[in-house]
Order: sequence, then C-alpha cells, then structure tokens
Amino acid sequence: MRFVDEFRDAELGRAVAAEILTLVEPGRHYKVMEVCGGHTHSIYKYGVDDLLPSNVELVHGPGCPVCVIPMGRVDDGIALAREPGVIFTCFGDMMRVPGSDGSLLEAKAEGADIRMVYSPLDALRIAKQNPDREVVFFAIGFETTAPSTALTLKRARAEGVRNFSCMCSHVTIVPPLRALLESPDLRLDGFIGPGHVSTVVGARPFEFIPADYAKPVVIAGFEPLDILQSIAMILRQLEHGRCEVENQYTRVVP
Amino acid sequence: MSELAPACAADHCITCADDGVAMTVVAVDDVRGLALCEDGGGARSSVEVALVGPLAPGARLLVHAGTAIAELEHPAVA
Repeated sequence: MRFVDEFRDAELGRAVAAEILTLVEPGRHYKVMEVCGGHTHSIYKYGVDDLLPSNVELVHGPGCPVCVIPMGRVDDGIALAREPGVIFTCFGDMMRVPGSDGSLLEAKAEGADIRMVYSPLDALRIAKQNPDREVVFFAIGFETTAPSTALTLKRARAEGVRNFSCMCSHVTIVPPLRALLESPDLRLDGFIGPGHVSTVVGARPFEFIPADYAKPVVIAGFEPLDILQSIAMILRQLEHGRCEVENQYTRVVP
Repeated sequence: MSELAPACAADHCITCADDGVAMTVVAVDDVRGLALCEDGGGARSSVEVALVGPLAPGARLLVHAGTAIAELEHPAVA
C-alpha cells in the first residue's frame, strides 16, 4: 500500500541505520524522547531500537492520553455510566483503565450499559437510535482527536440531537512537554515530535523547544523508516550544532 | 526500555497510538459532510470530512477516530 510499504523497506532501514552509526560520537550517550505513543508502539512492533547503536537511547514520552488520565476521571465515567437511562460510550482504549474502584469493563460486566465505539460519530449514531436514552461519549485524546469530538458535537446540534453529550477529558501536548523540559533532572538531547498532532496544529507550537531549551525536534511519521530517519535528522542537527524544528513527515504535515 | 502500561496490552489503541489510517474515498455526501471510505483491507466506514477540502471519489485521506485529518497527495504536502 502506498505511503506504508515503502516506509517498511528493510534494505532502506539498514542504510539509515548505517548512516546513524556515522553520526554518533563514540563515548557520547544520546537520549532521544519519542513524544507520541504511536511512535512507542512502532518502536516495539518493528524493533527499531535494535537497529540503533548502544549509545543512542530512546525514552518514552507522555504521548498516551489513556495512561495519563487521572483515576478520578475514570471514576466519574463509571458513575455516569451507572446512572439510569444512560448509554456510556468510549474508545476501547479506556475500557480496562483502572479507576479507584474498578474499570469501565468491570462496570459493564456488572450491568452498566457501556459500549465501545471507534469514533464519536458512532456514539452519535447510537444516540439517534435511542432517543429515549442519554448517550454520553467519553472524549479523550490529544489534539489529533479533539477535532473529531468537536465536529461530532456540531453535527449533533445541527441535526437537533438532544440526547447526546460528551464528558470532555481532552488534553494538549505542549504543557507536559514544557513541564518535562523544566525538570532539573532532564537529560535529553532531542525530541521525535508527534506526527498526527502536528497534522492538526502544525509545527509552530513546538518551536519553543529549540528556542527556549536548545533541543532539536523532528516531527516524524509512524513507520519504522520514518522513525529511523527522524533519529538521523536529530543526530545530524546535534553534529552540526543546530537546534530547530524539522519535519520528516512531509507527506502528511504541510 | 520500560514496559508498556498494562492497559496498553492490546495491540491497538485509537488515541494512545495517535492512530492514522490511510483510506480511499468511495463516495461523498456533500449535504451531510461525510464520505464513505475504504481502508487497505476493504473495510468501509463513514468519515467526517469537514477538516479537508472538497473531495472526489478516489481521494486518499488520513483518518483518525472517524475524522479525516489530512488529504494525502494534496498539493500542500510533499
């Protein structure tokens, strides 16, 4: 499939890995944070870290809105789901996340009407099919997902759907990055920037990282070659003494 | 590397993995602002297309959580 297969090419991957070897200084330890959970998944899935020299370390970033959600928000969702007449909808991601007294999956097993959806549009469809029930969508996710929630709310209003609401728990990525960069214990050399968040917000929100903290950022796609190439771009910036925001994911991020 | 959190044991998380699926437009419903799209495996679903420009069948979209967030091969991207 175009835009996928060519970014999983093993021969090209080995070539980029060889280039990375030429960019690292022996004796120097490099720490690069991949901001996005999607990158972490790809690194695990394709064994990207196995292709890196031992002195290039990948550090997992804050890019999972599920893992970082406060336990109390899960408790709030379960309480809403147990209200009479409510159909509670959420992405599958949330189902097993523990609250202080169990998960949404356990609440469902105990009788709450909790349904997994693949998009907020699915939740809106359930609301239209059940006009006598209140359908609540548990809206989570970063900047990539927030527009989907917003557009669905606009659609619900335009279509006069009165029994649909959202429990909004969206978060944005810049504040946790700034908090990380303010940490006195931080020892990072650069960031692999979030590709799909940048599709929505662009590269400009990340310019504070090189400007204020002198760290390179490379916005990257999610295939193994994307990640390898972005690491090479970060190392090249470090080698040349540059730090700026670069875009590796040009096929999607303008 | 540290282990992924237990909640991430499943292979696929829409939001956590910042999921983006390449899909092809099959038909456009301009009135409702939706497009019927097909992924690489042939699965079809309705996609919200308010964030991308005017579309025609055959257009390639990057879809996240039921919403097209970018048009692939659009002149604005390389």
